[in-house]
Amino acid sequence: MRSMSLMLEKPLAFILRDIIEDTSYKMSFVMQFVNMFISTSMFYFFSRLLGDAGTAYLGPYGGNYFSFVLIGIAFSSYLSVSMKSLANTIREGQMMGTLEALLVTQTGIPTIVISSSLYSFIWATFKVIVYLLLGALVFGVDLGNVNIIGAGIMLLLTIISFGSLGIFSASFVMVLKRGDPVNWIFSSVSGLLGGLYYPITVLPEWLQTISYLLPVTYALEGMRMAVLKGHTLSELMPNILALTIFSIIMLPMSILVFRYAVRKAKKDGTLTQY
Amino acid sequence: MSYIIETVNLSKSFPVLKGFGEIFLHPFRKKRISALRDINIQVEEGDIFGLLGPNGAGKTTLIKILCTLVLPSSGSACVKGHDVTRDEKSVRKLIGYVISEERSFYWRLTGRQNLKFFAKLNNIPNGESERRIGRLLDFLELADDADRMFKDYSTGMRQKLAIARGLLTDPAILLMDEPTNGLDPVTAQNLKTLISEKLAGEEGKTVLFATHNLRDAEELCSRIAIIRGGEVGFSGTIRDAKMKFKGPKRYMLKIRNAHNGLTGIISNMEQVKNIMPMSNGSSGFTEIEVEIGRDAGGIQGFVRDIIDMGAEVFSVYEIEPKLDELFSEIVGAK
Repeated sequence: MRSMSLMLEKPLAFILRDIIEDTSYKMSFVMQFVNMFISTSMFYFFSRLLGDAGTAYLGPYGGNYFSFVLIGIAFSSYLSVSMKSLANTIREGQMMGTLEALLVTQTGIPTIVISSSLYSFIWATFKVIVYLLLGALVFGVDLGNVNIIGAGIMLLLTIISFGSLGIFSASFVMVLKRGDPVNWIFSSVSGLLGGLYYPITVLPEWLQTISYLLPVTYALEGMRMAVLKGHTLSELMPNILALTIFSIIMLPMSILVFRYAVRKAKKDGTLTQY
Repeated sequence: MSYIIETVNLSKSFPVLKGFGEIFLHPFRKKRISALRDINIQVEEGDIFGLLGPNGAGKTTLIKILCTLVLPSSGSACVKGHDVTRDEKSVRKLIGYVISEERSFYWRLTGRQNLKFFAKLNNIPNGESERRIGRLLDFLELADDADRMFKDYSTGMRQKLAIARGLLTDPAILLMDEPTNGLDPVTAQNLKTLISEKLAGEEGKTVLFATHNLRDAEELCSRIAIIRGGEVGFSGTIRDAKMKFKGPKRYMLKIRNAHNGLTGIISNMEQVKNIMPMSNGSSGFTEIEVEIGRDAGGIQGFVRDIIDMGAEVFSVYEIEPKLDELFSEIVGAK
């Protein structure tokens, strides 16, 4: 019972720490909201410029570029958080000197790394809500068809599959400190091929084939279908299955790699170096 | 006898970063640098044990191995019987690591918030954590500043908070790395009093601290180990260390009615390595400090010689060698 409550209390302690730190930089905190409004407005005007030009490609998503890209930018923040926050936790801890203090506590390294990134995930979720509210209330995006359960399942699988990539990335940072190839490959390739700003159907076929190797493609497509078109769970099943398989393979593998990285860093004496 | 901390033939080497040229020419050749070699130290329960050595001697590496942050290359290190490589969790329960690096705190959190956060990570229940933090803040005289952001703390307050963090779990062993570094003399003295009187004295904790400040070690430590170039040059009590001193012995002589040329004659004597007149006869006494070579028949022969020259020797006592002399001797022998 006590260990169960600790399992919750420790992540909460990290979240509280990050809230206090983040809100203590008041200007930066406010600016993040302003930025969200600016980027949403930018894509809104961009979609007005496009008009009906993209309808052929956007048909499966409701035909409107703004609602398409809104889901893209909102949910891609999960990708960026997964890829960056876990690795950043290690890197920042190494540079700031806090990692050493954390590692001599009676908390395991996986708990430290995952709990350190929770606030970023919560913040990303909050941003998604703000993006959707801005889209619906200010820019007239129709969210009337949303399948909440489907979107929730897609979100959970998105976080798990992206999170495993993040753990891989953190393993590289633990050993290499800089120049993490996982982050570079997935962040840049996902931006290009994952369907963030345009449907993957605009890509040549061979690139479309590659895009289906990326979890972000299934995550964004499934999310758009659930939020904009209200697809049922059975209609979302191909995306759910793809992300589940990806998670089942990648999550344990990433944890193994991470454990190896920690052991190597301890052997090399570079655990807290940067 | 079982020791609370014991290392047996502990060695550590680190891989060396290779340059581009070397990566290209010898991609598979591994270069390593030795940081610790066959370290054998024993710390008894309740000891204040000083780990002395110049910069780069390997003190911090040894402390990090004992904290489970670095794995040894060979040999073993045990904390209260728990091996640091096989039983990391048990070791971490027993130790409090006082990290003097002020960057190891969250600067935008208050002192109390920092302690609460680390208490949670050390599995201390909420109610107990409040009590312990309150007690530690009082103990370290930080209670009035507990709710100020860490960034607004002075260096001394930061050091005290680091000690409070190390004591959160009420550990049997405190490991400290250069605890008085960067502190003004008054704060450093208060800290030393805290370590010797409160932590070791009242609370009975074992304290192992690394320092290159020999005065700190001399004031605080019951036992020391001097590390040079990754090897233990000496380990034992400070008294043992002084007994082993091989340099010339120093004596203070008080001579009555010394004639004018006496110090000049003494300085030319074969067995005298050095002479320092301390005071010159206004009250009828002359005090001189002399260094006598160990292979020169000792102080008795010297005193007899100067008595034969007509000096009236009033008193003679041996001056204990200073720890820094011993330190120089051991480190210099490398």
